[in-house]
Amino acid sequence: MRQNRKTALLFLAPFLTVFVAFYLAPVCYAIYLSLFIRRRVGLGPAKEVFGGLENYIRAVQDTDFLNGLKNMFLFGVLQVPVMLGLAIALALLLDQSRGIFMKVCRTTFFMPYGIPTAIGALIWGYLYSPNLSPFNQILGALHLGSINFLSPGVILISIANIVTWTWTGYNMITLFAALQNIPKELYEAARVDGANRWDIVRSIKIPLLLPTLRLLFIFSVIGTSQLFTEAFVLRPLGYVADNITPNLYLYLTAARDANYSYAGAMAILLALLIFVLSGPFLRRVASS
Amino acid sequence: MALLAGVQFGGPLCSASAQEAFKEPEYSKYQVESGPITLEFWSWVGGLDQVVKQFEQAYPNIKVHVNNVGAGPQEYEKLQTAIKAGSGGPDVVQIEYDFLPSFIVTDGVLDMGKEGASDAKSYFVPWTWGQVSPDAKTVYGIPQDIGPLALLYNKKIFDQYGLTVPTTWDEFAKEAEKLNKASNGKVQMAEFYATTAPWFMGLVWADGGEFFKTSGDTWIQTLNSPEAEKVLSYWADLVKKKYVAALPGFTAEFYNAVGAGQIAASVEAAWGPGVTAASLNNRTSGDWRVAPLPQWSKGQQFRSGNWGGSCDSVTRQSKHPRAATLFSVWLNTAKGPVLNNWINYGIFPASIAGLASPELNQADKNPGKFCGGQNVAEVYAQASKAVNVDFAWSPWFAFVNDNFNKQFQAFLSGNATPKQVLDSWQNECLRNAKDDGYAVKGK
Amino acid sequence: MTKDNGQIFSTFGLWFANPPHFFDNVVGLFTYQNSIFVRWFGNSLLYAGSITLGSTLICAMGGYAFSKYDFPGKQLLFNFILGTIMVPSTALVLPLFLMLDKIGLVNSMWGVILPSLVNPFGLYLMKVFWDSSLPNELIEASRLEGASEWQIFWGIGMPLIQTGLVTVALLCFVGAWNNFFLPLIVLNQENLYPLTLGLNVWNSVSSAAGGKPVYNLIALGSLVSVLPLLVAFIVLGKYWRGGLTAGATKG
Repeated sequence: MRQNRKTALLFLAPFLTVFVAFYLAPVCYAIYLSLFIRRRVGLGPAKEVFGGLENYIRAVQDTDFLNGLKNMFLFGVLQVPVMLGLAIALALLLDQSRGIFMKVCRTTFFMPYGIPTAIGALIWGYLYSPNLSPFNQILGALHLGSINFLSPGVILISIANIVTWTWTGYNMITLFAALQNIPKELYEAARVDGANRWDIVRSIKIPLLLPTLRLLFIFSVIGTSQLFTEAFVLRPLGYVADNITPNLYLYLTAARDANYSYAGAMAILLALLIFVLSGPFLRRVASS
Repeated sequence: MALLAGVQFGGPLCSASAQEAFKEPEYSKYQVESGPITLEFWSWVGGLDQVVKQFEQAYPNIKVHVNNVGAGPQEYEKLQTAIKAGSGGPDVVQIEYDFLPSFIVTDGVLDMGKEGASDAKSYFVPWTWGQVSPDAKTVYGIPQDIGPLALLYNKKIFDQYGLTVPTTWDEFAKEAEKLNKASNGKVQMAEFYATTAPWFMGLVWADGGEFFKTSGDTWIQTLNSPEAEKVLSYWADLVKKKYVAALPGFTAEFYNAVGAGQIAASVEAAWGPGVTAASLNNRTSGDWRVAPLPQWSKGQQFRSGNWGGSCDSVTRQSKHPRAATLFSVWLNTAKGPVLNNWINYGIFPASIAGLASPELNQADKNPGKFCGGQNVAEVYAQASKAVNVDFAWSPWFAFVNDNFNKQFQAFLSGNATPKQVLDSWQNECLRNAKDDGYAVKGK
Repeated sequence: MTKDNGQIFSTFGLWFANPPHFFDNVVGLFTYQNSIFVRWFGNSLLYAGSITLGSTLICAMGGYAFSKYDFPGKQLLFNFILGTIMVPSTALVLPLFLMLDKIGLVNSMWGVILPSLVNPFGLYLMKVFWDSSLPNELIEASRLEGASEWQIFWGIGMPLIQTGLVTVALLCFVGAWNNFFLPLIVLNQENLYPLTLGLNVWNSVSSAAGGKPVYNLIALGSLVSVLPLLVAFIVLGKYWRGGLTAGATKG
């Protein structure tokens, strides 16, 4: 089948070309860059010299980088389950109901996914301004005080809220579609066996949602590791720490402090970490 | 935008000042490259596209393309990446003084002294030249504007609560307490710019404090100097008592509080009244006045600090360094652009002729109009003369700037004393600078 | 959106205020800075449109190769490509920027479009769709009738896989329309910016010394920027439901 292989390669060529040029090569370049450190003589410009793993050693001791990772983990164990749980609940509800109301709900929940992250964050930024926020006006009217959504203790939750707002609908629609694909005969058979609605949800719907859920979980974890735009856009509106997410800190290390090598090292570490964390899940998806 | 700069200065303004000459350098000394040239200029100052038209008229061979890639840090991040890449940057770029060293050290900006810019020195307020020429030999920018500090206060609120304009910080604190009691805590005396380190640093500067200097081949960083501690403790106390707000500056949040009369005064740089007026969009216009910065003791020699202000630098990437140098000098010494920046955007000139120009006093235009027709420029011109001359910044200032916010938040949430704030600011910045390869020590 | 800039500060409610400034704001939005908003909008359409077309086609072809042909190392290569979706964008874009500069793609539309064509997840989805939508027997039969491989792909395969194409195209479009980080790094020219970046610049400049505050225009511009996706959702809604789960359930 030599002929066959050649044809396969021709079909693959466009993808492989851009993949190698714009994906693989930059990653290799980042690895190369990450091996250099800056040395200065006196007050002059720095020289890039080979430093081996020094940038990596610096990264694992850098409290700012570690703080970003900590926030990422918090996100992973708190925001992702909440969002997916919400999406499952909504999808199950939609699966139960019929008619125009369901259609309206579906579209409304899905809408935020279509709003660019940068613009969603701008709008939320206004809603978060403590004295202008309609949420605080409601709280004030109920004499419940007010919340500073942009203060250090709350900002992570505020960002989590934006992410949840953006992605719950997307996850919901995907799960809903998976539910619609379940053969109705399964429900019939269960009912004949005396199962109630809750039994059906627990023993048929949820188990059959698992493959979809696994994929959504991986995407959410990857999305969490990529958090940047929300924090970047909110920065001029208040105090958003430069180390709030690893990606923001990486960006600032490169663009603000002009240290591409160190940023590269942290990026590689971050990629490895995500690979270790979500790799097992991804392998099941790829091989299934 | 219909009012072009040219129209404005052709009007009654010109005749009023016809007697007083606006001293401009001899631009013909700058021999520019031949052929048609297009200069790329990054700046966030509004209305510059109109200003450069005057330049293009005078120099038909040179086109200037104004490009706005964001203000402050967002522009710097773009510039720093362009420098790293080796291309994609502008010819001329607006940089605030405090951030200039980080572009000198990455070899991003050109020594304009080589293109004859050293001669322009005598046209600028002396201390601004120290900012663009740290070693007094090389010239890394042409001063554009300055931000000497003064007290912007809402006269209506002061009158309402019977406050007197403080001349010392003691009086300031007493008036703040009085205002707090009289208004039942509804009106705060001032704002502590909690997310803008250069504001705080300007106040320390006003008290003779220093943050960075060099000694031989080594940097010395003292963010936790006694002066810094004195200033921070003073303000932290007022913030803690809630006499003073600590909102993030330049936000809808902040301007809403100002416009609603919840903040009575603010220590503002010379560009501050203009920005405040524009941001409030004529709300409370006319209610405001400017007074000299309060001092630490009565009868001391009057001192002020500087917050912000920018210069225009030529990048090493520029293919037309001579034309770019000419443009930078022209933009900041010629009458048209210098006055336009103040009258339309409240950008206070670094040029001596600009500062002396009677046209700065415009009662019916902002920022004068915002201050009830007061001669705002005069107050700031006095403040400018009282600015400490040899103040320096460091190449890792961008990190220092962001790190201050983090440390001060620890104070706001009750987790650190002012001294601890300054100590961890000093230590974290020192460690980062060392990790980045700088030869730097604490004392 | 009927507020002027001062009112946006005074009370938050975005919608109605007296006197109404809605019309002024619309005019302002489309004329401010020499109508640069229109330019940004056009840029966004151009970026998203060309990325969607290019990326969908590339993924369809690549997915076809993985689905319908055998070659050594196929599974390994496929897993590897899929695994790369974990690489954080900063790891990719910052070095990419330095490389793009060497081939002169910085500050050009190509610098945004070409790197965005890579879409490992799109490739994965297309493979899944090919697996389920085009029976191998049909390919064999066509080969016997003398059709070339290209004719089979284009004439027989593509019509059968429309759902998959639209699904991947929608995902590409949303991704490209949302794109922020890549253009932030690659573009230094205001007039090449997409909407997301442009509005962010207005936001940044609104709070700077000497800058002009235009919060009212930002708010209105944000609304306008959402319209194209809204239209895409409503017109192509059924493809979302039909296609999105394919990757997970049919795989």
